[in-house]
Amino acid sequence: MGSFFRFRAFLLLILAATHLCCNSIAHSSSSASSSSTTMHTNNWAVLVCTSRFWFNYRHMANTLSLYRTVKRLGIPDERIILMLADDMACNARNKYPAQVFNNENHKLNLYGDNVEVDYRGYEVTVENFLRVLTGRHETAVPRSKRLLSDEGSHILLYMTGHGGDEFLKFQDSEELQSHDLADAVKQMKEKRRFKELLIMVDTCQAATLFSQLHSPGVLAIGSSMKGENSYSHHLDSDVGVSVVDRFTFYTLAFFERLNMYDNASLSSLFGSYNPNMLMSTAYYRMDLYQRRLEEVPVTNFFGSVMETIHTVSAYRAPSGKNSDKDKIKLSLDQSVGLDERRTLTSSNVQDQINDSNTKVSSVIPPYSYLHIFFCISCSDLKDGKALMLQDQLGLLEHLWCTFLNKAEKIEDVDILVNYGLVIMFPLVAKTNCKYEDLSIGGCCRTIV
Amino acid sequence: MAAVLRFLIAVLLFSSIATASLSQEEEEFSEELLLKPLADRKVLAHFHFESKAPPTRTYGHHHRLFPKALYQLVQKFRIREMELSFTQGRWNYERWGGFDPISSSNAKPPGVELWAVFDVPHDLVDASWKNLTHTLSGLFCASINFLESSTAYSAPDWGFQPFSGSLRYGSLPREAVCTENLTPWLKLLPCRDKAGLATLMDRPSIYRGFYHSQRLRLSSTEFGSTEVESGIALDQTLTVVLQPTTSHRASMTYSSDSVLQPSWSLSSIFGRKVSGRCVLANSSNVYVQVERGLMSELKILHAEDEGSGADNLTFEKTWNNPGFELSIAPNRVIKEVNILHDETSIVLYEYLIDNYSNSEPFDLGFTWKFPVVWSSPQAPLHASRFLMGSGNERGAIAISLKATEPSDGLWFADTIENSCMLRFNVFQVVPWYVRVYFHTLQVFVDGKPQSVTDFIERMRISPSEDKVSPGVMEMALKLPCCVKSVTLTLEFDKGFLHIDEYPPDANQGFDIPSAVISFPDFHASMHFLKDDSLNKSPLLSKFQIPRRLVGLVSCYPSCLLS
Repeated sequence: MGSFFRFRAFLLLILAATHLCCNSIAHSSSSASSSSTTMHTNNWAVLVCTSRFWFNYRHMANTLSLYRTVKRLGIPDERIILMLADDMACNARNKYPAQVFNNENHKLNLYGDNVEVDYRGYEVTVENFLRVLTGRHETAVPRSKRLLSDEGSHILLYMTGHGGDEFLKFQDSEELQSHDLADAVKQMKEKRRFKELLIMVDTCQAATLFSQLHSPGVLAIGSSMKGENSYSHHLDSDVGVSVVDRFTFYTLAFFERLNMYDNASLSSLFGSYNPNMLMSTAYYRMDLYQRRLEEVPVTNFFGSVMETIHTVSAYRAPSGKNSDKDKIKLSLDQSVGLDERRTLTSSNVQDQINDSNTKVSSVIPPYSYLHIFFCISCSDLKDGKALMLQDQLGLLEHLWCTFLNKAEKIEDVDILVNYGLVIMFPLVAKTNCKYEDLSIGGCCRTIV
Repeated sequence: MAAVLRFLIAVLLFSSIATASLSQEEEEFSEELLLKPLADRKVLAHFHFESKAPPTRTYGHHHRLFPKALYQLVQKFRIREMELSFTQGRWNYERWGGFDPISSSNAKPPGVELWAVFDVPHDLVDASWKNLTHTLSGLFCASINFLESSTAYSAPDWGFQPFSGSLRYGSLPREAVCTENLTPWLKLLPCRDKAGLATLMDRPSIYRGFYHSQRLRLSSTEFGSTEVESGIALDQTLTVVLQPTTSHRASMTYSSDSVLQPSWSLSSIFGRKVSGRCVLANSSNVYVQVERGLMSELKILHAEDEGSGADNLTFEKTWNNPGFELSIAPNRVIKEVNILHDETSIVLYEYLIDNYSNSEPFDLGFTWKFPVVWSSPQAPLHASRFLMGSGNERGAIAISLKATEPSDGLWFADTIENSCMLRFNVFQVVPWYVRVYFHTLQVFVDGKPQSVTDFIERMRISPSEDKVSPGVMEMALKLPCCVKSVTLTLEFDKGFLHIDEYPPDANQGFDIPSAVISFPDFHASMHFLKDDSLNKSPLLSKFQIPRRLVGLVSCYPSCLLS
């Protein structure tokens, strides 16, 4: 008898310790893999053309082609920062005023009727570029010239111009170096200015520009590798200069086939570049990027396709995080299961909404994690296991919701956790379940 | 029953009084287009959009037609008056006129020009100016924020406008103007460029023009101490000089060896037609103006054509005459009242766009039938500015003014003791790196050097300070009317610039902002028959100065330098 009590006291100590470490691990895992806890809410595009002078017409056409694509696929002007270092459309040397073409057939006027350039001419400098990225402006700078992204933003950063080994030339008078760019991206990450960032560079030796990046959540592709040049595509004898670069030309060829509703993935975009046609190797780096490229639709960066969640009544949005978790973690193979889980979530939503006393359950996710963690020893905690447990979440959430409905009055979450601890301790001591049982959901189910 | 009736009547009365009082204060918006054939085979198209908002004190903060961005601008920076213009090209005063309302208010220096008068204490004006430039750069997609530094703006006292000390003036001569500046400008209109006259603005056609200038003028009485509160008035104008493409008929030569002017229509110069008015506009009109010079030539042509027994050309039928023909009969013909003498006057043909729609668009055609050569009214002096010397060796800026032929005593000259004197003001801002030595100012009248004090009434100089402020010169000169030419020269040295102060395309050199020459004694206006309906047209009412102000309104042609 005494040994049993001593065993129980020992277990209690272990549980308290694991509770503390689980708290810290849960918090750190939630902050490190922020992509799993914050929802993707908006898309931004920063399009930079760094070249001046008439013979660099093609760089302007590159940037404007991307501008047009991004606008066509849904990103509004308010979310686009367009930096053009020179004026080609109304240049005295332009035979076609207010028109910029990226093809000698002149079918598409990239300048259009509704273009809004945020930084133009002498304003396109390395200083302003880094200010835009890091968000450190003078107080008088207007909102249309600021990158007002947050931790749910996906940002597309496209840079074109003349570049070289670890640098990008701005307007023939200054350079942006790769470590400057890496520092700026690191600052952005620290300040939570993006959820995911796609850097696309179309210059000579483009891949060297992002060689120094080390922030997570960044995907980068360049038009050529170290030692290679990027070439223009064709010369327009009417305008008199080359009108587009090869890398951007083939990027556009890919996007012109798409509309807003297609879900072509990034891997198909990256795979569409043929080194023989480009005359250079389009190199991309995904070591800092957590998601698999086959799962990421291109409209996550190049367009703005938002998921709509239908609700019965207005002004009571459900907690978006639940459905987002389901969406992210399940691969496309489990599309059937996705429907099931979606319906389950929506029925959860119904429950929540119909029950007028319920508070919006923003408190659900972290604490369901915590409660699962209690059931297993935290030293076994790895992402894989947490994932498997999360698959069960859809089923468990229903039960959790009913639990929460009863516990609605509890404001202080710590008290809730402590109550849980107190409740669970004798049960754990009694049942003494093993991990395998828990994974199927036996032990935790009874507790919750 | 009686009580109910009385109650109903009271309610009706109350509502009618309420609506009556509300209807006195309303936002107004009107749009107009003025087309004018120019003497050198080109066409002037002048779009004018006017929007008025009643005072905030009585009307409130929420507006239906007035753009919110500008209302907030006025409120935040306490603006009394502001004008912002984006221009490319040079206004040709000789061929296009220098003495009419259009050229005096719409011939602007190339690049960006901004001036503003604030209703704040003197020590806060500079801070307001800085914030204003930043806000405007975000609003109009231009680098207006470069005007924030003290090297780029100046504070003229009386040389530019007869205002008090809170006027700030800045100009960027090298700023490009393109579609991205027009896009937000059009978004300030209630119908944007989707309905009404603004649908004509085909961007390639506008930017192909010889001269295009978009201007925005704000004036408000929100913060002033004036008794009459008229709210905020916004004027947006776009002035374009276009070259119609020549047709085959132009190859015909006539007896005087002159070539027929190219005929044009709205669809040929803009590529579009007007398919209806903006429903939010009070009035939507198109005017075709025939200048005095052209009118007199047409009268001669008519007299030659018809022979001696012909009746006089009645103005109602002048839209179809031996010289030219308009494809649509105008709704109204407006004739200018010539108070000097009853010779030829300016004629305006008015078209109302109300009756036109998508199925029946408005496409006015102007067909020339006989080559006519005429000249436009000129300002008293024709000004030009140039550099003398080379490099640092005897470099000098020279402003040369030549008297033009007075067109039949159109202008009133200031008579002092029975001698005719011509007065004009010169306002010039020079960047700090062009170090002007103001003590080397020389005045040459008719080629002979004269003493400076003989001709300069008053002068205000603000010498430049390296990297801090530009050199500002305001000068008022008075000359006898018989003078043929005046030249002012100022010597300068080039300042030293660090390598990071050069722009990236330093090979193109530096542009000096334009000087402004104004004639305070002259007025450029057109008087029309005093008619209530004319007052509803903002364009015409701006052209028309009420009689009591004759002689006090100045005309400001600007002198442009490349």
